[in-house]
Amino acid sequence: MTTSNNPIGSIFLSHRAIATIASQTTMESYGVVGFTAKNIASGLTQSLAKDPTMGVEVTIEENSVTIDLYIIVEYGTRIKSVATSVAENVKYRVENTTGLSVKNVNVHVRGLRISNTD
Amino acid sequence: MTDKTISSRPSPQEPTSHPKSLNGQQFKQHIAAALTWLKANQQTVNSLNVFPVPDGDTGTNMVLTMQAAYNEIVNSSEINVGKMSKDLAQGALMGARGNSGVILSQILRGFARSMDSLPEMDSRTFVNALAESRNTAYKGVVRPVEGTILTVIKDIAAAADESLKAGATFEKILEDVVKAADVSVRNTPELLPILKTAGVVDSGGKGLYFLFEGILRQIQGASLEAASAVVQPLDAINIGQAMEEIEEGQDVEVVIDFKPFKELDLQSFYQDLSTIGTSIQVGEGEGMYRMHIHVEDGKQNLPIEYISKIGLWTKEARENLRAQMPSFTLAEVQPGQIAVVVVSPGEGISRIFASLGAAGIVEGGQTMNPSTEQILNAFENLPTDNIVILPNNKNIILAANTAKSLSVKNVSVIPSKNIPQGLAAILRINPDGVFDKIVEDMNEALSEVECGEITIATRSVELNGVGVEEGKVIGLLNGQLVVASSSVEEACMQVLEKAETKSRERITLLYGNNISKDEVDRIGEVIQETYPDHEIEIHSGGQPHYQFIISVE
Repeated sequence: MTTSNNPIGSIFLSHRAIATIASQTTMESYGVVGFTAKNIASGLTQSLAKDPTMGVEVTIEENSVTIDLYIIVEYGTRIKSVATSVAENVKYRVENTTGLSVKNVNVHVRGLRISNTD
Repeated sequence: MTDKTISSRPSPQEPTSHPKSLNGQQFKQHIAAALTWLKANQQTVNSLNVFPVPDGDTGTNMVLTMQAAYNEIVNSSEINVGKMSKDLAQGALMGARGNSGVILSQILRGFARSMDSLPEMDSRTFVNALAESRNTAYKGVVRPVEGTILTVIKDIAAAADESLKAGATFEKILEDVVKAADVSVRNTPELLPILKTAGVVDSGGKGLYFLFEGILRQIQGASLEAASAVVQPLDAINIGQAMEEIEEGQDVEVVIDFKPFKELDLQSFYQDLSTIGTSIQVGEGEGMYRMHIHVEDGKQNLPIEYISKIGLWTKEARENLRAQMPSFTLAEVQPGQIAVVVVSPGEGISRIFASLGAAGIVEGGQTMNPSTEQILNAFENLPTDNIVILPNNKNIILAANTAKSLSVKNVSVIPSKNIPQGLAAILRINPDGVFDKIVEDMNEALSEVECGEITIATRSVELNGVGVEEGKVIGLLNGQLVVASSSVEEACMQVLEKAETKSRERITLLYGNNISKDEVDRIGEVIQETYPDHEIEIHSGGQPHYQFIISVE
């Protein structure tokens, strides 16, 4: 939970709220086709997140946020470019909708989806 | 049938008459034309950015992606069109830059997959391949955003299909495709609200449009160079703005204002100027023109002689670019000491950072984010292992962190989002201090300073409840738009007020390369009158785009 002050009271933002923004933004980023649970050992990877915050981890220290994303990328795209775009989009959207400063966005590419073979 | 002015790099050769089917080599010529035309319109695509400060690079990203794709086939003697398109797609994949570049590479990948290894491409296979381009592009994202390049490739594929069913020839299909792309691009603001707010069309979609239009223009024999004759608003061109573009042997910058005797034929005007020098830019405003050019030392009279022939000149400004070369010395560090590496957008700012003890400087800022590699290069060879990086821009923090992760040195990135934060932080440096303690001090310094920025809106937009028209002066406080005004002075004063300057002690103004010294002095006096008890410093920052960067402590 993070707090910021406004003249008539405090605003509380939960990890989950921030994770939802990050998750929705990631899903709109080109090249990302799904999330995986952070803990692969649990054995379940899903390519479509049903839980709106699956595969997203938010760490808050004071008023700065670090976001970890565990994603699956479409095979045949340039992974570096996809990951960079995701990080930029998420940082921009979270900062602009919450007013918090995003310190880091770490993108963990946990798998590739092959939808067609060339 | 091809216009003679087609660019030499990459050189689309004389196209054969548009045959019923294309082999690999003919396909290659079309790709060359597409790339040439996109390059010619790169700035137009870049200018379609959504935010009120200049940060567009879609055009650059698409050109670099397409160039990487073309490089893969440029020396190929393959005549099988399917194999050729496969190589093209491979090149695009490896070179994809940015979001638009990745989507473009998917479009080419789908195209290549559909062509398989067909020796020749006819109308039907072309249309099928476009359909597969669309399918592949859409597969790359879970929730496609409409009103983007995705929508444009979808509309292109649909138009091509319809055209084929109506029995059109290859050329006619391409004509319909370009028409459909144009309509689709114009419609993007209706689908994506942020485009409408910013008053632009989608940049990626526009880039895709230029690729197809380039091929059509080649087939129809139209010039692929015309778009280089861009005319900018008069104020966009100023002496000293093109620091980063200095070329060997082009030593003198000349800017001339003039009134042409008769209507200016831009095409031939550009061509004439290009025989004199480089970095040519032309601006127009109310019948007046302003031209900007770099020429060799000794040739600085040629531009004015030429202008005298075609019009009446009113003002000329010259500057020796050699004299602008770096005039500061970086701090020398010893092994074990702490070295500070900073990112700086302008000459004057670099000089200030150097005088405060920076050991490495990377050029970069809002519109020219340095790469991770450039940041790495700035400190990898320093004799010490203790490095502190000040990115000084929120878009560069990520690259700085990547540089940190790639280095074996003990690196700490202080997330300074602007120049004032960077300056506040570097004042805490003690090269012989304890690393962790210095890093902590520098991080602390970030919150002790307010940053004001004054620039010109490049788009009409409404943000944070502030309505801005293109060309208005806008003021940002700590990165947020807080004021729009018609004068730089008023914007400065309002930003200072919003920064609660009254309760602070010191104001530092860094002025950019787009404002005159007279105006700076005048505004400085107004500020001094309003805040008589404050300590006020004024320095040349030399940064592009921003009239002022203001630090309030």
